Order: sequence, then structure tokens, then C-alpha cells
Amino acid sequence: MRKTSLTILSVVIGASLLLSACGSPAAPASSGGDDLQGTITVSGAFALYPMMTVWADEFSKLHPGVQFDVQGGGAGKGMTDTLAGAVDIGMISRKIKPEEEAQGAFWVSVAKDAVFPIVSAGNPVLAELTAEGISQEMFNKIFVTREITTWGQVIGKPEVKDEIHVYTRSDSCGAGEQWALFSGGKVQTDIQGIGVNGEPALVDTVSKDTLGIGYSNLNSVFDSSTNKPVAGIAVPPLDINANGQTDPGEYYQTKPEAVKAIADGTYPSPPARFENLATKGQPNGLSLTFIKWILTDGQKLLDQAGYVPLTAEQQQEALKKLGDG
Amino acid sequence: MQAEGRLVLQSSAPGRIRQDRNAQRAFSVITLLPVLLIVIVAIALVVRAWPITRAASVWDTLLGVVWKPEDGLFGFWPFITGTVWVTVVGVALSVPPCLLIAFYLSEYAHRATRSVAKPVLDLLAAIPPVVYGVWGLLAIVPFVQDLVAPLAKRWFSGISVLHVHQPTGFSILTGGIVLAVMIAPLIISVVYEILAAVPNDLRHASLAVGATRWQTIRNVVLPQVLTGIVAAIVLAASRALGETIAVLMVVGNVAKVPTSIFDAAYPLPALIANNYGDMMSIPLYDAALLGAALVLLFVILIFNVISTLVLQRMLRRKWA
Repeated sequence: MRKTSLTILSVVIGASLLLSACGSPAAPASSGGDDLQGTITVSGAFALYPMMTVWADEFSKLHPGVQFDVQGGGAGKGMTDTLAGAVDIGMISRKIKPEEEAQGAFWVSVAKDAVFPIVSAGNPVLAELTAEGISQEMFNKIFVTREITTWGQVIGKPEVKDEIHVYTRSDSCGAGEQWALFSGGKVQTDIQGIGVNGEPALVDTVSKDTLGIGYSNLNSVFDSSTNKPVAGIAVPPLDINANGQTDPGEYYQTKPEAVKAIADGTYPSPPARFENLATKGQPNGLSLTFIKWILTDGQKLLDQAGYVPLTAEQQQEALKKLGDG
Repeated sequence: MQAEGRLVLQSSAPGRIRQDRNAQRAFSVITLLPVLLIVIVAIALVVRAWPITRAASVWDTLLGVVWKPEDGLFGFWPFITGTVWVTVVGVALSVPPCLLIAFYLSEYAHRATRSVAKPVLDLLAAIPPVVYGVWGLLAIVPFVQDLVAPLAKRWFSGISVLHVHQPTGFSILTGGIVLAVMIAPLIISVVYEILAAVPNDLRHASLAVGATRWQTIRNVVLPQVLTGIVAAIVLAASRALGETIAVLMVVGNVAKVPTSIFDAAYPLPALIANNYGDMMSIPLYDAALLGAALVLLFVILIFNVISTLVLQRMLRRKWA
């Protein structure tokens, strides 16, 4: 008697543990069809979460029969939930990995974002940085190979001995991956810096450390009310053509300038990047309608939420991928 | 119905015995649950972490110093040493002042002082870890960066564990300071309770033969409570080992084996918290992180076993 009840109990606990380890139990499946009734469940990256809530709000205004359940949790959770069928759509702020595609993940890019280098507004060589910019090769030597260790080396004045304090994100994130790719690394952990947890903390740390350098997403770099870099932060120009001086189109002091450069591709990619949505196999039914709407009318909402819309060609490409040429 | 049942119970002995037996069964099952849970968690972790052994042997994983998941290199050694460094520094910073505080409160303090100090100390234990993390970020990181590290550089550069290799305040020392404050209420209250359990007759007898309070503490009270103090420290160390968010916010998270308290470190809980949400959908990465959880579980288990052995030995010596 005691043995059987124990067995049953352990089975129940074991099962619930496994279930919770594999993500939340299946959510109600969205009822497909054109009448637009049902629930769309979404989970994934925090970077896309604010945008998704705006899209969800607007879409359910247009189609009152559609309900949304949007959760954060990170890109990996979004992908795991999607592949397990626990949610309809996963929000992925990084590249989709081959291992994930091998498990049946389908994805499409829906918005652009970009990572910018940041230094403290109190940086001792800010004037020179602003005049000369920092080239991609230099970023490589600062962030990845650590061949450049002083600010003097960056501006070509060896007598300036101020040490560079390199900061990176400790939590794995799309921004870190993109910045690593831009700086000549492959993955986020190639950036050799002090890991700070979360974007706000990283921006705050760099703003307080006059010798610090880091990176951050568009939304955290520029203040949304003033359109200028947030207090204490300066955005050094990217010396894209590596000619040792800042040319027009290499220096972004306001958010609209930055957004324009990301949209028209003047700002290099990486560190500009795509935000992706993933589904298990080709999407269909309600999910497909919603993603198509995001790629067309939904693009107009990106601007106000601080993201960058896709270009017309990128929209077409994405729609084609969805099977709608 | 209820009244009837009670009547039946009162009159029938077998019914009462059955009820007693059922109660015993229910209680024992509920008591076994936590034990079972540990076993199930361990088994689940082993099963989910198993794929990692296909990439490398267990020893290569545990003692490997390179963490490059994209290249299939999952060396845990930097994280294991990071965990130990931060915990040791935290406990070492916390224990001496905490013992003095507990002894003061128990042996010297006026009742009024005690009635104010105790609740305030308990309040410290109620502050959420993330608040300690923010405090560490805003206060302790600059403190170490601008004051402690430069001083250590000037005066203690001959001592290797005090070498300053990196210029920021994100370091083992910072994590240790935050941990020390976090575990202080635990150590103080446990030691205080142990001291309160020492019979007052012993103190009176000692004082009556002319010993000072300090002599009484050293010769009479301390021998009574030594094992308890060890237990309190181990309890605090276990708490420190598992502390995640407050530490990861200030410790720098660099996956290298540290050699100095001014180095950044990357403790195991931080590794899991930093990466699990983003990488759980990549099979081998997922296995590696759950392997890290397993290692953490084992490290804590080892700590507990060692402490139990120490406690037993001390008790035996006392009775010999």
C-alpha cells in the first residue's frame, strides 16, 4: 500500500518536473481560418517584447475576435516553446542557429535594430574620438584581441596612458552577438570585457566610468524624449571607411539620424541587425495572417516604438519566404 | 454526521487505530517529499546534462578551463573556482565581525540595545537580493575601483592574491563584500540563538569566582558553542554558494580562472542565469548549463558533507 502510493507520487512529481522543464504545458491552439477568431500565443526575447505588445494591441483592435498571450523569457525560451508547440510564435532577437533550424524552426525577419558603441560623456579624449572616429579594426583590437589597451592608442597619441575599461553584457543577448560579429569575433563570449548584467546597468556603468567603453541597442542609447544620447553617454563615430577622420554619415548625434542610417543601410550590419519571429514549420492560419500584417501595416508602428522598419525589398523577401510572392 | 462519527470513534478502538495509522502514513509521505525531490532533481539534471559527455569526458568538462560553447568546449573549471573564490571571500569577510556582534548582543549589550539591534539585523535579512545587487553596483563597485584597488596596488603588490590585473571595481572582492553583508544576519542570528541556549548558571559560576566577562566568554561560553558556530558558518556558506543575482550584478562575469581577489569571476549560478533563457533551445548548450546546475548541486553537497563530518568530530572530542 505504502509502496504503491509512493510510486504514484513520484511518477506524478517526476512528470510535472519534466513538463515544467520542457516549458509550460500546451496553450490552446489557435483556431485557424479567415474568420479571425482565436488566440495567438507568443513568447521570447525581451528585446522584441515591447514591440510585440504594440502589434498585439493594434491587431486585436482591428480584429476583436483575436486574443493575445505575450510573454518574455528570452530568445531561447521563445524558441523552445515554439518547437515544443507551447506557443504559436517565438520572438528571437539573435540569429537562428543551425541546431534550431534542424529541429524545424522557421523564421522571418520583421524589424531592424542596431547596436551602437558607447563611451562616457566624460571621456578624457572625447574631442579626438569625435573628430577621428573608431574604425572596425580598432574595435576588433579593443574588444576582441585586446591589442589596444589605452585611449592614447585609439587616438594615435601614445603619451595618453589612460587605460580602456571594456564592458560587455554578461547575459547572453542579441546585442552582444551583433557587437562581437562587428568587432571580428564570432559569439558574444569573444568580447573580452567585464560582464555587466542587463542593458540599463551596462549603460549606467559606462556613463559613470570615464575610461569605459561598451555597446548598447538604439533604444537605450538615445533618449526617446530628447532624441539625444542619454545623459552621461556619448556615441563615438564609426570610422566606416577607416580614413582616420569622421566623415558625414559616420556620426549620429540624434535618434532620427541613427534610424535613417539603419534603415537605408548606411549604418553597417552587423552591428545593425534583424529582429526575427520563429514558428514551428511554415506558419499557417491565424499566425500567418498576423505575421503578414506585421510585415505590411505593422511596419508603420515600428518607428514610434523605437525600432526601424524593413526596406521595401526586405519586406518583399520576407513575404516571399512566407509563401506569398 | 460529524457527531455520529465522533461517537463511533470513541467507541471503536480499531477505527481509532486505523485513523492513527493513516495519519502516520500521510505524514511520512509528506516528509519524504523533499528528500524525493532532491533525488528527482538530481536525476533529471543528470539525464538532461548527459549529452555533454558525448562532447567531452566528465573530467575534461569539470577541469577544462576554456568555455567556448560554439566550438564545443564546455570547461567548468573557471566557474567552479569563481564560485569558491567569491564564497570564501564573502564568508571570510563576514564571520569575524558577525561573531563579535553576536557575542556583544548576547553577553554585553543592555536589554534596550538588544531590543533595537536585533529587529534591525533581522530586517537586513528581509531585503531582497536584487536590492543588494543594486547597492553593490552603485556603492561597492566604485568603492573598490576608486579606493581599495589603488591602495592595494600601492601597498600590497607583492602579494599575489591581492594583485590588481584589471582596472574596474567589478571583482571577487566586490561580490564578496555584497555576500558578506547578505549572510551577516543569518550568522548573527544563528550564533545569537546558540549563545542564548548556554545555561546562565555556567556564566554565574564563572563570574562568581572572579572571572571577567571576557574570561567567561573565552573559557566557559566559547567551548560550549564552537560546534554551533561552525554549523552557522557552513549554513552561511551554503547560502553564499547559491546566491545568484546580487553576485552576478557586481562580479564581472569573466570566464577565466581567477588568481586575485581583484580579478573578475564567473560563479556557476551566474553562468546559468546569464545564459539559460537565451540558449535553452540549443541542445548541447542546454545540456552544458544543466551540467553546471548539477555541479553546483554537488559542490553544495560536498560542503554539507564536510561540515557534517567536522561537526561530528568536534562533538566526539567534546565527550572524550
